[in-house]
Amino acid sequence: METTSALEKVLRGVALTLVVLFFMFPIVWIFLMSFQTNETILSIPPSVIFTPTLENYQALITGKLQTASGTLDIAFMKNLLNSVFLSVSSVAIALVLGVPAAYAFARHKFRGSEDIAFTLLSFRFAPPLLVLLPLTQYFQWMGLSNTYIGLIWVYQLICLPLILWIVRGYFEDISADVEYAYRIAGHSWFATFRKIALPLAGPGIAAAGLLAFIFAWNNFVFALVLASADKQPVTVGALAFVTASGIQYGQIAAAIVLSITPTLALALYAQRYLVEGLSLGAVKG
Amino acid sequence: MATVAKAARSGSGFKISKRALPYVLSLPALLVCIGILIPFFTAVVYSFQRYRLSQPYARKWNWGENYLTFLTDPGFWNTLKVSLSYAVITVGLELLLGLGIALLLQRRSTINNFVSIMLLLPLMTAPALAALMWKLMTNPGFGILSYLLSLVGIDNFRWASSPDTALLTVVLVDIWVYTPFIMILLLAGLRSLPTQPFEAAALDGVPRSFVFFRITLPMLTPYILTATLFRLLDSIQQFDIIYAMTQGGPGDTLTVFQVEAYLNFFQSTNVGRSAALMIILWAITYTLSNVFIKHWLRLRERARGEA
Amino acid sequence: MTTLQLQNIVKRYKSQVVLDNLSLDVADGETLVLFGPSGAGKTVLLRLVAGVIEPDEGRVIIGGEDMTDVDAEHRGIGMAFQNFALFPHMSAFDNIASPLTATRSSKEAIVAGVGKVAKLLKIDHVLSHHPKALSNGQKQRTALARALVGSPPVLLLDDPLRNVDAKLRFEMRLELPRLLAAQGATVVYVTQDYKEAMALGDRIAVMAKGRIRQIGTPEDIYNAPADIEIARLFGDPTINLLDVTPKAAGAGIDVELSGVKVALPHLPASLAGRSLVIGIRPETLHFVEAGTPGAIPVEVEAETPLNEKTVTLVRVSGGREVLVSRPAGTPGPVAGTAHIAVDGATTFLFDKETGQRVAAAGQSAKTQGAAA
Repeated sequence: METTSALEKVLRGVALTLVVLFFMFPIVWIFLMSFQTNETILSIPPSVIFTPTLENYQALITGKLQTASGTLDIAFMKNLLNSVFLSVSSVAIALVLGVPAAYAFARHKFRGSEDIAFTLLSFRFAPPLLVLLPLTQYFQWMGLSNTYIGLIWVYQLICLPLILWIVRGYFEDISADVEYAYRIAGHSWFATFRKIALPLAGPGIAAAGLLAFIFAWNNFVFALVLASADKQPVTVGALAFVTASGIQYGQIAAAIVLSITPTLALALYAQRYLVEGLSLGAVKG
Repeated sequence: MATVAKAARSGSGFKISKRALPYVLSLPALLVCIGILIPFFTAVVYSFQRYRLSQPYARKWNWGENYLTFLTDPGFWNTLKVSLSYAVITVGLELLLGLGIALLLQRRSTINNFVSIMLLLPLMTAPALAALMWKLMTNPGFGILSYLLSLVGIDNFRWASSPDTALLTVVLVDIWVYTPFIMILLLAGLRSLPTQPFEAAALDGVPRSFVFFRITLPMLTPYILTATLFRLLDSIQQFDIIYAMTQGGPGDTLTVFQVEAYLNFFQSTNVGRSAALMIILWAITYTLSNVFIKHWLRLRERARGEA
Repeated sequence: MTTLQLQNIVKRYKSQVVLDNLSLDVADGETLVLFGPSGAGKTVLLRLVAGVIEPDEGRVIIGGEDMTDVDAEHRGIGMAFQNFALFPHMSAFDNIASPLTATRSSKEAIVAGVGKVAKLLKIDHVLSHHPKALSNGQKQRTALARALVGSPPVLLLDDPLRNVDAKLRFEMRLELPRLLAAQGATVVYVTQDYKEAMALGDRIAVMAKGRIRQIGTPEDIYNAPADIEIARLFGDPTINLLDVTPKAAGAGIDVELSGVKVALPHLPASLAGRSLVIGIRPETLHFVEAGTPGAIPVEVEAETPLNEKTVTLVRVSGGREVLVSRPAGTPGPVAGTAHIAVDGATTFLFDKETGQRVAAAGQSAKTQGAAA
């Protein structure tokens, strides 16, 4: 339907190359950096050809950093474990709480249901520090400051609206008649929920869970305000690590690679659902 | 038959009344979130108090004083200016770039699909970590970007550590992370447009610039509006990138709302001012989000309708 | 004894009244057809009986027991949906077996039960398929099998033939009465197709705008329609409707059609002078030789075959168009002028304002006799 001239083809090719270069270069560069010694990193001009070393990863994984002034303990692996634990637990709880609620919002238009659903949605857009700063004081009174429970609770602010709105859309896509048919066949609402609604919305629930995991993992401000070193996830931990280690650039790069790999891998795995998830169900991919 | 039904009913163990069921299902999620509403009201209270963590004994109501001082406080006007500039510049550039890339990738082909998936990666990188990545690349000593600039004759470009270029640097990181968001929304929009108007225009030999401005853009407007509002809402609250990159510095160059509130709370321990700043930011985002939700709902209904 | 009674049912959605104080009795083993245009409230009514939606007012009584507040799963009802509503993630076997698994039947009983009904509906060869892999006809039979398998005392069929092709619809219309009779269940059957209604119903309830306009045997509805709308809905080709103002003639009345007097001796003289509409079914009109008493001259406009009939469009003097039908293959008029005759006893009169049929008490029986 459109005629493409040779010139246009070339221009498109150039533009596409520039786009890929701009968006991919930082990831590739940091990845390369993580396999370099500090000497290689600091050499000018920067070398693309170098002998890769695993010593940065070694240092991170063993938690012992050899510096000129002696051995430094680094808690980065602890941060990584914190990230895994916080994200997995937050998503698990958000699924347990959010999926039934999403089902209620999708199937039963009860009094106030829309208002409640929108209130939950609005949490997604409120400035997090607005509640976080007073929350630090409440958490102190309640003994929740610097606890996993406190953090997981606050992480619901990210995970719940996401799961609620995406999964609700998937439940709405199931024909009500299919569920009616199962009820009429003699099954309770709970059996219908378990045997019909859950399996049919299954892919959507999985996608929402993965997305919620990514957002929980990537969160920075909650843990920055509410957690101290031993409970911090990688996002905050990496920043602290930069400040602490100063010039150990290779290890910093390796820490970044370890921190972003899980979310990037999940994103590639779930890419089919990301468009819908990112727009909270407003756009289908 | 009647007796069978009766027996079956009494046999079912726990029974929740039909009317109560939806409430029972959604109550746990609600309870978890209600806990979050309490600090919100606390923040409102704090914003009307003179409250410093360093002088807790001097805490008292000062009513609108926190807000009134803002009028003559250059720090506040700087915060407002930086926040708005940051939001407008990032979203404006991301919109142009995102639309351009979406148009570039519109045709479904293996390479285009591959590129659009690759572009998800920056978006899925934690913004705080993305800032660290760029910090490594813009290091004046060994950063690759500083080196590349020196090749074209720009020496001593100081990136985030100079007040002149700090905004540019964080904007660059924001663009790197969030342009793909606008891109994939617009790409989904472009690919869902009906093909007939374009085929008709091609048959009639209508110039492509005309097609773009008179057909593509108007039909894409709902997507553009939703993506823009969504990003504006996030961008005006940006914290992660700026804090991880410069902690608001150098000086007060990048003290956007959330960074300023954070520093007020934890460094100057001025809780009252911090809360007042957050309430103002909340008022801005609340207004924006109401507009946003209207557009978002329209798109969502359309997407559901196609399902 | 499983009778079904609906008492004063009201159902509203927002401010719209979908079912308006509706009452209905269905006898044990009876097949009642709910007939009406879309939006009449038929499907809502069925769901209300099934228990998946609740009435705002009124009671649902099944087998003499008030089931209004009883959950759907405890009502002992089988239902087939217009869109089939098969479980997409289960095989046809599991779909059909779902009412049996609910009662915790033994595995052998389930296999036997499903096998029997599948054989009856000729789908035993596709039981392992998922709905996606079934043809429309197989889906429809699977849905029907699922409704029948538990031998429910009450069976609700929501336009089950709507979404299948014409050939299958015809086959099923022949098969269904036998199937339903074999089940012995009390059946409520929803359809928009009047022929289906006539073929399957022991009685037909004609619904419109949330109310039952008329209820009776198919013959009742056809031969004594309660109003113009029902007369128009039942009958193919559609009934001829012409404005008339009757004159008294002895105990009965006369109407004038194209200058020819037609006697309606069965209708009371009190109707004389009122503005009425006469309804004449096309099959009650006959072509006659010119000069026959009561013959009305017409111009033949067009002729078209309709199933086993031939339909002729003619124009009477004054320009009004009338449809005449006769069994296909019987001789008819050639183009040009012809004559038709009306048997006054088989016509209906409706009030022009309200559309209601006007008739003295006990009138319908007499009309019925005349038609038979």
